[in-house]
Amino acid sequence: MKREDIILTTKQFLSEEFEVDSALILPDNNLQQTLDLDSLDYVDLVVVIEENLGIKPTADDFKTIETFNDFYDLVEQRLNA
Amino acid sequence: MLINKENITSIIPQRAPFVMIDSLLTADESGFKTEFKIVPDNLFLENAILSESALIENIAQTCAAGFGYLNSLEEDGEPKLGFIGAVTQVQVEKTAKQDDLIETSVQILSTFDTIHLVEGVAKSNGHVLLTCQMKIVLA
Repeated sequence: MKREDIILTTKQFLSEEFEVDSALILPDNNLQQTLDLDSLDYVDLVVVIEENLGIKPTADDFKTIETFNDFYDLVEQRLNA
Repeated sequence: MLINKENITSIIPQRAPFVMIDSLLTADESGFKTEFKIVPDNLFLENAILSESALIENIAQTCAAGFGYLNSLEEDGEPKLGFIGAVTQVQVEKTAKQDDLIETSVQILSTFDTIHLVEGVAKSNGHVLLTCQMKIVLA
């Protein structure tokens, strides 16, 4: 999957799942703040990521993810591994 | 059967009259199954009909028993505290009544760190009574 496709797919499922305007899902925006995630939301996040992108990030992965760009890097890395 | 009625309180924190499971039938990393007979002196019976909240409690206690049992198999075996973080997608299909046998199954859908997303189904005589999802946090 190309990075543009990852971004497009991610915007679509995250805006639907977390009821956020997809225009706010910008590469340099903070993922947690933009999606207004609390600790319990992360299990939902992992479920939709797995359903839509086929990878399952761990708690350790999210320690290094601040922005959507960080997230796209992780997805790209996992899909191309 | 893994844990019978006489020993069920060894793996769950609830005590009579709030115990809403009788026995733990199966438990592994994918999920758990319990049974519960609705006796006449059940606190949640009204006109011989069991309240829906008792079925949600039954699913929660199925989680407690399952996680408690798996925890007891671990080397340190120290009991963990469990919290219900959320109950969502509750669907009531049918009510249960006095003397019914409730068969409850819980499937672990996903785990993130110490948070488990589970789906519970309570059935009686093969009919679905109630389904819901829960987020269980183990501390």
